[in-house]
Amino acid sequence: MTKIGLEIHCQLTKLESKLFCSCKADYREFEPNTNICPICMGIPGSLPLLNKIAVEKATLIAMALDCSTPDKIAFFRKNYFYPDLPKNFQITQLNAYGNTSIGWEGKILVGAVKIRIRRIQLEEDPGRLIYEGATEKTKLTLVDYNRAGTPLVEIVTEPDFETPHQVREFLNILSDLLENLNVSDPGLEGAMRADANVSIEGGSKVEIKNIGSFHDLEKAVHFEITRQQSLVERKIEIIQETRHWDDGRKITVSARTKEEEAEYRYHLEADIPWVRINDTTKNQLQTHMPESISSKKERYVSKYGITSQVADILSSDKYFSELFEKANNETNAKDIANMITTDIMGLLDTREKREMSKLEGDHISDLVEYIKSNKITRASAKLALDEVIKNGKQLSEIIEDLDLGHVSDETTLSDIITEILDEETKAVEDAKQNPDIVNFLVGKVMQKTRGKADPELTLSLLKKHLGIN
Amino acid sequence: MDLGISALNYVSGIKNNEFTVEEFISESLDHIKQVDEKLHAFLRINDFAIKKAKEIDAKIKSNQNVGRCYGMPISVKDNICIEGSKTTCASKVLENFIAPHTSTVVSKLHSEDSIIIGKTNLDEFAMGLSTEFSAYGPSKNPWNIDCVPGGSSGGSGVSVAANECIASLGSDTGGSIRNPASFCSVVGLKPTYGLVSRYGLVSYANSIEQIGPMTKTVEDSAFLLNIISGIDPNDNTTLDNKNQDYLSDIDAGISGKKIGIVTEMTNSDGLSADVLDATNNSIQTFEKLGANCEQVSLQMVPYTVAAYYTITSTEAGSNLARYDNVRYGYELDSSGFEFNSYISQARSKLGPEVIRRMILGGFVPSAGHAGKYFLKALKVKSKLISEIKHVFEKFDFLISPTVPIQPFKFGEKINDPVSFMMVDFNTVTANLTGIPAISVPYKITNGLPIGIQIMANHLEEHSMLQAAYALEKTVDLPEVPI
Amino acid sequence: MKSLVNEEEISDVAKLMKIDLEDHSAHIKRVQKMLEYFDILDRANVEAEEITVQETDLDKLRDDKHIPYDKNLLKFLKSYQEKYVKAPKLN
Repeated sequence: MTKIGLEIHCQLTKLESKLFCSCKADYREFEPNTNICPICMGIPGSLPLLNKIAVEKATLIAMALDCSTPDKIAFFRKNYFYPDLPKNFQITQLNAYGNTSIGWEGKILVGAVKIRIRRIQLEEDPGRLIYEGATEKTKLTLVDYNRAGTPLVEIVTEPDFETPHQVREFLNILSDLLENLNVSDPGLEGAMRADANVSIEGGSKVEIKNIGSFHDLEKAVHFEITRQQSLVERKIEIIQETRHWDDGRKITVSARTKEEEAEYRYHLEADIPWVRINDTTKNQLQTHMPESISSKKERYVSKYGITSQVADILSSDKYFSELFEKANNETNAKDIANMITTDIMGLLDTREKREMSKLEGDHISDLVEYIKSNKITRASAKLALDEVIKNGKQLSEIIEDLDLGHVSDETTLSDIITEILDEETKAVEDAKQNPDIVNFLVGKVMQKTRGKADPELTLSLLKKHLGIN
Repeated sequence: MDLGISALNYVSGIKNNEFTVEEFISESLDHIKQVDEKLHAFLRINDFAIKKAKEIDAKIKSNQNVGRCYGMPISVKDNICIEGSKTTCASKVLENFIAPHTSTVVSKLHSEDSIIIGKTNLDEFAMGLSTEFSAYGPSKNPWNIDCVPGGSSGGSGVSVAANECIASLGSDTGGSIRNPASFCSVVGLKPTYGLVSRYGLVSYANSIEQIGPMTKTVEDSAFLLNIISGIDPNDNTTLDNKNQDYLSDIDAGISGKKIGIVTEMTNSDGLSADVLDATNNSIQTFEKLGANCEQVSLQMVPYTVAAYYTITSTEAGSNLARYDNVRYGYELDSSGFEFNSYISQARSKLGPEVIRRMILGGFVPSAGHAGKYFLKALKVKSKLISEIKHVFEKFDFLISPTVPIQPFKFGEKINDPVSFMMVDFNTVTANLTGIPAISVPYKITNGLPIGIQIMANHLEEHSMLQAAYALEKTVDLPEVPI
Repeated sequence: MKSLVNEEEISDVAKLMKIDLEDHSAHIKRVQKMLEYFDILDRANVEAEEITVQETDLDKLRDDKHIPYDKNLLKFLKSYQEKYVKAPKLN
């Protein structure tokens, strides 16, 4: 019976400032050691100042994961020496004197499997270490403290996972959830990190740390299960230990660091009083919580008649569900949803593309309308989309600029068809035997008109010219 | 010019054109030059003091708004940060540390036009009660230079007692303001925890320490408390005292007040004969002033020293962990060192008392020992807080001698750890419970000072100062013999 | 009967706190004496007590605003190539 548990660290990138000071929460754009201040650097005489909204956003996460939340939260110090820790302690949370961390005993469904959340805590991220030169020759460690003090939420699950695939699923669901709650942008590099613990057949629990990405996590867990299984087969005992994921060799290796024997001397952080979070605040947070993904999906299906599959894809993506909400006016909802999932998602598949995009809700509803009233073909619509994303111009302008107008004039079409039939003499011959060849000719007409020809009309006219039914 | 005048008399002296700021500062600096080589109250003198004095004189002359301090010279303990200047905490480990920020208390003093005349000596990182643990040499008691001035704010006490400045800011974790106040015969006040901002105070035991004034008179302490107290957005633990004026009605007297004599702090076994005598005398004085004095027992007091050292070692162990010499500290190139050995090398510069507290601080909260030591200490603290709360339902003030003994000779206590810890016996209660406490100079016996401690309930500094003022007015002490 | 905390334990703790005990005996003996004194806590009879803490309200906390620290903090620190902070190598 395989048991896998996770410890996920998620940065609250949607905050403006760090957890205990006013430096920027998202450090990524800064030159090394330029997003620091005396507080996050632990300069003697500095005191931590807790970020109110960090507490609120962390509470939102706890609620969204169905956790119990406390009336008062407390902070503790985890003491250890490391160059990325400016104070040589981390301010974190613990449940040493009753339940005082931001949330505990929650759950989340991964398909049909219930994954229990043991606890959620709010804490600060350390700085980042940069090594000079190769590891053997390393003479020093270089440190960038820009990240020190960034707000983190640590989510610890019970060992309820049974397969690496479930783990991957869960991480995707969690990413979407956090993005939907507007607390974090999991796509940012380093915004979400996870460690795992694995045990098989009731044996010792092995922790795996140092995993770079979620993709690696699935691999690491899979490897570790295999490693443990082979040990069991050879009747070798599995040692309870911490192992690191070696990305180069794609294996887990024993860490053999002092981590397992670490003594953290946990004690209360006296510079931060226990913070009372009353029911009024909790109710307010609950009321203003962004709609959950599952609730959105249900609404899309029941209110708009969108298929379950499309609703699934749309609801779990924050960017596109927002676009959908802006574009639709209920009557065109299905078409909008289809356009987004079929065409637009493919065109805006990266963060950069989405950031540069000038596409707005109105553009999409216009496009859907134009297609419906035959002002533009589906094929031309794709070209129009490309253009709108680039320059955000009005649809009518784009159609004129690119000459995408629908060709539905019978005379014009007939002329074009006559041209094609003259060119494609062999096809015309074959068409008499094989009616399917007509589609080939339709294609030729579409080519010649650059997609603007009305396909239905083209087909019927072609058939007429060829004398087919 | 009398350098021994109080802050309030200095202000009227300036206002009445009896002397200028520059004159007073200049003479103070001369005096410091004369006496401080012997007394060693100061670690550093402010080179810009005269310049600032001239600026303030110009402001006064041109009828501009001048801050309440009118250029008075104030010294500050060297564990309180002032931007751009060294803050060493009397440690070799911070030999070259220049603070990038100014503490709230000093900012407030600056905005009231005081002149910070220098930084004063202390026990290293405020851990001690005699200034013998300063890495830069001890300060001497101006009443008898063979004796300790008390600590950890020893330099502050000496600077005020020896008239090197008008007042000082010290810090009090277990008695570090009150003990040197008593030993040097000056007034020392530890405010309610949270009344004065700790922003800029280098942390030692952050759950109980406070910055407070050390002054020549009780009124001066009230005057300074008015300036430095109040809620601070830079310190989440500060309280709102609603701009209370601590000088108002300070002479109201204590007629009808109920005073509790803490049995455990005044018992004849724990006090020297002279201190016991002075204490009994003070009780008579309080009664003459119209108060009703009665014995009261605080059962947790015998456990407070152990609880105090357990809690403060734990916090100190954590607060001082950052001194690994990587980001700031003193010159030591890290090339060739491995991380752990570099840190150990850096920390080997810590003095012996600090090292002992680091070890204790690693031991008492560690898994396996926390239950016996650290957790128990927290519970003693809790029970003491309930006891105090209960006691203040009946009494207005609690009293005891500030220190069970008079100033001792250098080297006398330093080798016996338990006897050393016991010097704090009467003072740690106020820190553990967060209540305010003040030491008032009461007697000089055999040429050595004895102070009486008055404690009041949370945020009751106003009435505590009234009691201190009343007591002070009954006393006429000799001048310091320097 | 009082038992002294043993020397080895104290040495281990010193290592944890990154204190190199060159002159072992003096410090260790003194720490032992202090710990022995702390045994007095066992007699305080406080098992049933709850700890006391300071509390505050959520609305008293700092607003979430980015305020760049406008002074060059790096120049107050020991830095390497004016960019990174230099730390000794890790094992």
